[in-house]
Amino acid sequence: MTRPACLNGSASRTGTDGDSLMGGLLTVVAGTAVLAILLILVFIGGNALDALVDIGPLEFVFGTEWDPADGVYGALPVITGTVLVTAGAMAIALPLGIGCAIFISEVASPRQRNLLKPVCEVFAGIPSVVYGFFGLLVLVPFLRETFPDQLLYGSSWLAGSILLGIMALPTVISVSEDAIHAVPSSYREASLAMGASRWETTVRVVVPAALSGISAAAILGVGRAIGETMAVMMVTGNSPMIPEPLWNIFSLVTTITGTIASEMPEIVVGDLHYSSLFLLALVLMGMVLSVNLVARTIVRRAGCTAPRTHGALSGPLFRRLEGMGMVRALSEHRGTVCRVVGSALLFTAVMMFGSLVTGPVVSAFAGSVLVLVANAYSSLGRGLGSNRVQSLAHGSLALVMGLVILMLVVILGHILVNGLPALSSGFLTGDVADGGRSGGIFPAIVGTLQLIAGTVVIALPLGIASGVYLAEYSGDNTATRTIREAIDILNGTPSIVFGLFGFSFLVVTADLGYSMVAGWITLSVMVLPVVIRTTEEALGTVPRELREASRAMGATKWQTTYRVVLPAAMGGVMTGSILALGRAAGETAPIMFTAAVAFSTHMADSIMDPVMALPYHLYYLATEVPGSTEMQYGTACVLLLIVLSMFLVASAIRYRTNKKIRW
Amino acid sequence: MENTSGSNDVVVDVRNVNLWYGDKQALFDVSMPVRRNSITALIGPSGCGKSTLLRSMNRMNDLVDGCRVEGTMEFHGRDIRSPDVDVNELRTRIGMIFQKPNPFPMSIRDNITYGPRIHGVTDRRELDAIVESCLRKAALYDEVRDRLGESALGLSGGQQQRLCIARALSVNPEVILMDEPTSALDPIATSRIEDLALDLRREYTVAIVTHNMQQASRISDYTGFMYMGRMVEFGQTEELFNNPSEEMTERYLTGRFG
Repeated sequence: MTRPACLNGSASRTGTDGDSLMGGLLTVVAGTAVLAILLILVFIGGNALDALVDIGPLEFVFGTEWDPADGVYGALPVITGTVLVTAGAMAIALPLGIGCAIFISEVASPRQRNLLKPVCEVFAGIPSVVYGFFGLLVLVPFLRETFPDQLLYGSSWLAGSILLGIMALPTVISVSEDAIHAVPSSYREASLAMGASRWETTVRVVVPAALSGISAAAILGVGRAIGETMAVMMVTGNSPMIPEPLWNIFSLVTTITGTIASEMPEIVVGDLHYSSLFLLALVLMGMVLSVNLVARTIVRRAGCTAPRTHGALSGPLFRRLEGMGMVRALSEHRGTVCRVVGSALLFTAVMMFGSLVTGPVVSAFAGSVLVLVANAYSSLGRGLGSNRVQSLAHGSLALVMGLVILMLVVILGHILVNGLPALSSGFLTGDVADGGRSGGIFPAIVGTLQLIAGTVVIALPLGIASGVYLAEYSGDNTATRTIREAIDILNGTPSIVFGLFGFSFLVVTADLGYSMVAGWITLSVMVLPVVIRTTEEALGTVPRELREASRAMGATKWQTTYRVVLPAAMGGVMTGSILALGRAAGETAPIMFTAAVAFSTHMADSIMDPVMALPYHLYYLATEVPGSTEMQYGTACVLLLIVLSMFLVASAIRYRTNKKIRW
Repeated sequence: MENTSGSNDVVVDVRNVNLWYGDKQALFDVSMPVRRNSITALIGPSGCGKSTLLRSMNRMNDLVDGCRVEGTMEFHGRDIRSPDVDVNELRTRIGMIFQKPNPFPMSIRDNITYGPRIHGVTDRRELDAIVESCLRKAALYDEVRDRLGESALGLSGGQQQRLCIARALSVNPEVILMDEPTSALDPIATSRIEDLALDLRREYTVAIVTHNMQQASRISDYTGFMYMGRMVEFGQTEELFNNPSEEMTERYLTGRFG
């Protein structure tokens, strides 16, 4: 039997050496990426130190006045504003989002499902600044006309919460839909086989089994809302005041992100105001981090135990209560208890918010009517057969879904209808003229494309190599786990924090100034964790059998990774990376203190020059240049088209991958 | 790697092997020869260690964390586990077919050229020749000759498994280890794989793990019966099936077991 010469000896040997070389190289790359990530903590923390020492942690957090002009930095109004706006957003996003998720997973036909899922993702694709622009031009005037006595300006907590609620929708929908969809179909079959209707199965079996995933979705939605900058800052009024009374949704407020973004341009580097803003960022990171940790704990616990029907009531607390006999008493009369508590809450809420608009008598009347209607609605089930209830429930869910789609259509439609006519060749290829009121936006388009291109070149190789290292080469040890934790922390970090990091590290310390390269690095650090995680996850879905098949033929680890595993995972890697880049392209907060200028008379000559960018240009026009409405719509439209087309490419890749590969 | 002749030569020799996964011992003092140009079958109930034994012959168990082996395992008289053995080269010479067909998500052609390419073959015509000859040996060529560029995932389960066999042949191994290769296939596809194994015996050496006793008796020359990590009995297939020397073997073969 003769064998090709290459199969004996030397060829395989060099293969082995190349293998350890690649392993070493990947280790170095992953180390670099992690180092870059850790630098953020160092710079944010380091700059916050002055304020922490000078003001004191308690005085900072509980100080009731935030007045930089007087040098008073009490963050309580800012933190309160953040919490209130987020809570309001959740009151909107949770019912709508979970309703949509149930509809998509349990009610919709497979065809509707395939259509609805990507549609919901479009929500996530709209840049924050475009939401803010829509809020400023449509939502705020609408609210001002609807509540003329309560709203002097229209900018308010209410406006911020509505906008943020819409922005948190895609997170809530996709995470809870995943959780609901992951419930084994054997559960559904078992329930249906006993004669339960589909709706009963949904309510009694599927949703309880998915409850931990749904709670995680809610919490992740909170995390997304807290960290949002541009949209909130454009519609809340940025006034550091605590609403009076506390539930006055018409009050002007500010958020941590909004305060940082609006005050950064005025600061002197190194003074107390500067440091206070970093301390605010640290508080924000702490809030987001704890929210995300809670979500991850829930998900992890759900992962290692069987789904339970008790939901939130299980665990040690449940057992302790059970010992006292309380739970038994409660659960025997669960229906009544729920009804009484729910009615009381509803009535209180109507009284509270009603008093803002009208007198107490009218509020009390409206409250009673609503409570009666709600009770009648919920007892309807007894009178009707389970089929009627099901039709009613499915109908309501479809209504919720329709409402959400309608919102999307209104936002997209408004911007496209008003923006498309502005797109002339002069607009697309001309320079900015008349302070932004006429001319074109060519430099901003080029600047945005330059920023994307640089980020691709830096972040993709680093991120993919690090992901490969984590998935294929690193063992499961403390170092790897630490790296993963660090990446996860950065993954949920609000984009404004990256902007602060870029400013303090790149613009000031590294003395790069406002420059394209500072923007590249800032955006790269921002997308790096996403690319790393996506790569790792995509590689994780490649079946072990493929690796074994390759290794069984004598391929080295690197050959196997490079030729079998990576190509098989490439669809997933590219989809995730393009989505991350699309988001980066629409981001304003990370570039507004690092790379972007409002006006530039010429293109960037070198990477050390600042650039114009579409998101920042839109923000600038919308907030600083009255009389540039047409230009604003045009800019928003171009930005939207660029970002959405990137999303479209990502979806196309995913669609093709899913079709081609069935494990 | 000298080519010695003689039909009874032991190619892979396993002697007194003990194997642990972490603290759990999976193989106890197992010995077994695999002879040139023969089919050696391993039978026994689930979890008896037959797949473990097979996978340790080309050190696929190296990929399992916490796996530890003691004893002697020789390939042409050389210790398989000695530090100067290149494990990748070892696996090119001792190939493997898995329980579930696992074609790569590539075209049919690329699945087969994968092995030769990683070992440095770049010439197009040579690759084409390898594709054709391997597919012919795996009795798949006539079914797929017109769609070599199409995705391997579009093939039926039986075709996929034959493609995996063709792929294993592409690096010209001496020994082919088959780990329950037909357990995921229907009877017709199974019988084609069995015919194929009988054909392959002329050029290659085959060791096969099977759940199916009839399969072992139909195709193998030697059979080993394993139980609870031990080799209860090993011998010529006819002998073992018609006249087992151990009572436990007889009880297993006649279905009076457990």
